[in-house]
This record gives sequence, C-alpha cells and structure tokens, in this order.
Amino acid sequence: MSEEIFAFLLRLYPAAFREKYRDEAVQLYRDRLRDESGAFLRARLYLDMLVDAASGLPQAWRNSYAENPAPSFAPNVEATPSFRLLEKEKLRPESIAIGGTLSVLALFAFGFLISLPAPFRPLPASGGKMFPIESVLERLNRTPSPASDGPVSEGAGTAGYASASSGAPPSQPSRSGAVAVRIESPQQIDAAERDRVIQSVARNMQAHYFNHDQAQHASAALLALEHRGAYVAIVDGPDLAARLTADLRNSTQDVHLIVDYSSRPLPAQPGAPSAALSPALLEQYRQAMKQQNCAFEKVEILPGKIGYFKLNSFPDPDVCGAAARAAMQQLNQADAIIFDLRNNGGGQPDMVAQISASLFDHPVPWFNPRANPSAIMLSPAGSSLAKKPVYILTSTLTRSGAEQFTYNLKMLKRATIVGENTGGSAELGVFHRIDDHFGMGIPETPIANPYGKPDWELIGVAPDVKVPASDALATAEKLVLQRRNN
Amino acid sequence: MPKRKLDPLPSAAFHILLSLADGELHGYGIMRQVEEQTNATIRLGPGTLYSSLQALVEEGLIEEVDRRSTAAKGQERRRYYRLTSSGRKLAHSEAERLADLLRVARAKKFLKGEYV
Repeated sequence: MSEEIFAFLLRLYPAAFREKYRDEAVQLYRDRLRDESGAFLRARLYLDMLVDAASGLPQAWRNSYAENPAPSFAPNVEATPSFRLLEKEKLRPESIAIGGTLSVLALFAFGFLISLPAPFRPLPASGGKMFPIESVLERLNRTPSPASDGPVSEGAGTAGYASASSGAPPSQPSRSGAVAVRIESPQQIDAAERDRVIQSVARNMQAHYFNHDQAQHASAALLALEHRGAYVAIVDGPDLAARLTADLRNSTQDVHLIVDYSSRPLPAQPGAPSAALSPALLEQYRQAMKQQNCAFEKVEILPGKIGYFKLNSFPDPDVCGAAARAAMQQLNQADAIIFDLRNNGGGQPDMVAQISASLFDHPVPWFNPRANPSAIMLSPAGSSLAKKPVYILTSTLTRSGAEQFTYNLKMLKRATIVGENTGGSAELGVFHRIDDHFGMGIPETPIANPYGKPDWELIGVAPDVKVPASDALATAEKLVLQRRNN
Repeated sequence: MPKRKLDPLPSAAFHILLSLADGELHGYGIMRQVEEQTNATIRLGPGTLYSSLQALVEEGLIEEVDRRSTAAKGQERRRYYRLTSSGRKLAHSEAERLADLLRVARAKKFLKGEYV
C-alpha cells in the first residue's frame, strides 16, 4: 500500500481530526514501513491499516461529534452567553450539491403530498355541516313556502331549451320574500347526504324513466354499487354527480340520463314551464327581447347576394315570431343563406321549427326530442328560400336548440355545416330536483329519432367542412361562390 | 449531554493508559509499547490510535507534552503524551475492576493454575 492510498484513507476522517493528527499518522505509517520489511510483515501492515480504517473511522467521527459539547468539561463559570463555531471547515462543493439536491427533492415530495386528495373533515365546531353564517344564508335563500322538503320532490321539466346567451326567458322566476344574497356553498357532502342522493336517484329512476325494465336494472345496479362501498370515498358534490351519471348511463346505455350538482341552492320549485310564465314575467321577457332585437345580431345581404343571418338564440315565437319572419323575408333577396350559430346557445324548439319551415317546400320528417311524440312531419311555410343553398356556421358554443337546428338540417341534407363540432348538449330529460344542490334529468318518454341515427347528446354535430370557428364565415362565402361558378 | 466516550473504557484506551505508565511516549512509541505489552496481539493503527488519544486528551486522562524545544530536528512533528493523575487513577480502578472480574472467573473455575 503506497502512502498515497494511506493518505486517501486519512481523507475519510473528520476535518478536525485530520488537521490535528494527519502528519503524525503519516509519520507513524512511515515508521512502520521502515521497521516492518519483508513480505509477511508488509502484508500484516496493510491488513492492519484496513482493519484500522474500519474500526478507527467510526470512533473518530464519534469523537468529532462529541467534541462539540465540550463546555461540560470547561464550564462557563461566568454564565455569559457565548458563541461557538461548530465547524471551521468550509462546505465542499459536493456537499452543497448533495444538500441542494436533497432539499429540492424534499420540496417536490412535500408538494406532491399536499396535492393528494385528502378526505374532508369538517371542523368540529361547524357541527359537520356548515358555518353558522352559511346556514343562516341558506335558510334565507329557501322559499318560505312549506313545499315538501322530501328527498324526491316532483316537478315538471322545462319545455324549452335553456339558452346560454340572453335568449330564453329567465328560468328562475324571482320570488318575493327570497333574499338576494347568495354565497357559494361548500361542495363537500357528508355520508348522510350521499346516501340520500343515491336513494333518491334510484327512486326517481324507477318512478320516471320511460323504460321500466331498464329503470329497475339501473337503480338496482346503483344500490348494489353503494352497498359494495363504491361511493364511500366520494366527498365532493360534483364528483358524486359525475359518478352517478356515468353509472346510470353505463347500466342503460342512455346518454340522456344525467345527475347534476349545483353549488348554488336549486330553487325549491323547479323552473316553471315557459307556457306558464306569469304575464309580468312574459312582459319582462318581451321587453328584453325587443331591446336585443330578439338576439338576432345581424340580418344582412353580403356581397355576392349572400344572405347572412347571425342569431344568438332561438327566441320564443310568441314574442319574436314576427321579427323572425321579417328576417327571413329580408334574406329572400339573397341567392344563398348563411346561418351563423357560432354564438347560439339554444332557445325554443318552436322557433327552430318556424325558421326551418321556411327552408322547405314540402313536408319533411322533423325531430324534436323535447316534444312527445318526438318525430313529426314539418309543414313547409311556403317561402322562396326553399331552393336556396343553406350554410350553417358552428362552434363549440353552438348548443342545445342551435344543435337541433343544425342536426336536423344536416340529416335532411338541407344545409352544409361549416366550422367546429358543436357543444353536444341536448338535455332532453325532464328535470327532477333531489335536494338543494342535486338534480337529475330523466327522459320520461321514449325518444324516437326519425333519422335513425344517434342525436347530438354528448357528441355534438360534426361539421361537413371542418375549420376553426373564426374562419367559418370566410370559408362559407368561398363555398357559396365556388358552387355558383360550377 | 452525550454519553461519555470512555465509559466503559475501551480496551485500546486502557492499553494506551498502561503504555504511558512508565513515561512519556509519542504515537508510534505508544503503538509499539502496546504491541509489546500484549505480546503483539494488539497493533493500534493510526485511526484507532489517534482517535483514542484525542478522546483521552479531551477527558483529561492524558495530556500532550510540549517537547518541540528539546526534540531533535526530525521529531518536530511528533506529539508526546503522558498520563495525568486522573488518568492514572482511572487506569488503577480499571485494573482493579479487571482483577475483580478475574477473581470471579477463577472462583467459577474459568481460570486454572497460579495467580497471575
């Protein structure tokens, strides 16, 4: 063993030890080298050095740690505070690198740990439900009527499509006596509410779903899942709604079934059917529609005799029927018509039918999944528009009633769809309130589709010419001109 | 308060104390002395030797002697050590403790023959 190797072994010792004894240790090694010649003695010496490193190293480190509390042997008699340097040696770059890496790893590990979902534990003081201020507000938000608070509260669904934009009548009539203060309630649910919701969903299925065999099957499957503890881990309202929706659709293969969660308390009475709107509310709606020109943003003739109709809703024909007729009359001057539904979130099926009727000169099979029966024949409105090519501009914001318009005209091969796949929301089920936050949509009658293809629920309507919504108008104009030139 | 390093006294430390009974020695000298007094069964390597010396110095059982002024030129780097009175006392009590053990062992017939 050369002296270099021995010097390397010495490097493993604590700095304080090396500083003090390194030279002497090397000297001792030299002395032994000098005194112990011959193969046997040398071999013994080398073995000694290795054994010594194995036994001496731990001892040296123990010593060096123990030397810090040296005050026990040299008590500070004056008992004055003193500052002691624990380690005189500078940190080596390797130490800094290792320490830095470990710190970063620890930081990431901590971040990962706190990102894991933790089961919600309500504060003991909140009684497991909500804070006092929240419970007061919650009570104020409830209707004063003694309407049944039972888990299954019945109610007719809305007949019209809810409109994402400012088209449809307000679905929640304002109630006198209700306080307008609303706050977001915590979305966490406890075991009791979870159980109540699941039981209600199962009961509602049996009571309302049009296919009784499947209803039995689906609710039994749901209760079996609950019995097996499949829902125990779900503590979040939206999560439970999504999971129940998935399970219902899984058992029935019916995408129109939905369980929904609203963080705002649902009105005690579900949204009233539009037919039953109070005169005052109807007048309010009429005024709003008049102000917004029935959500008909633009009716104009573009260069090249292209009629352009941008409508952001299909409003109630009782209020906007005349405006819609006037718009179609104006479009009559054009040779082709572009309906811009890129910002249309839906509206009334009756208006969808009224506008569509003027595009045909013969009766056509018509699909209105909100009506019973859902398949009828649509009578033509007797308009010269019937022969003109129709283009519909779509985006992902095109939803509900606007999708019905798009879907039907596509199925009837009456229009070319240009733009993006539509939003995919049919919301055909009748709404049933379960409690303040949970509700569900259940199709109560079988939905007959005259076109024999799946409707647009979830999947939307695919465009014939797929372009980004922002390019849809230019693309459609180009298509009109191309077609004309051919 | 950390546990005292030399309680119980390791055999290496005891041998060092014994090796210094006759006078001052430097590290290599101690090593040779220990080798001799144990019939070459214990050869202290530098790690063990100097760790033990350090611990003994800290406990006040031995002390370093400044011999540089009188040392020959080649020995300047060597530190000499000698027993302190408390080191001598501890070595004495440790020897007595071992003697007690020895008496017990003999009484239990673990050892035969003459008194050592």
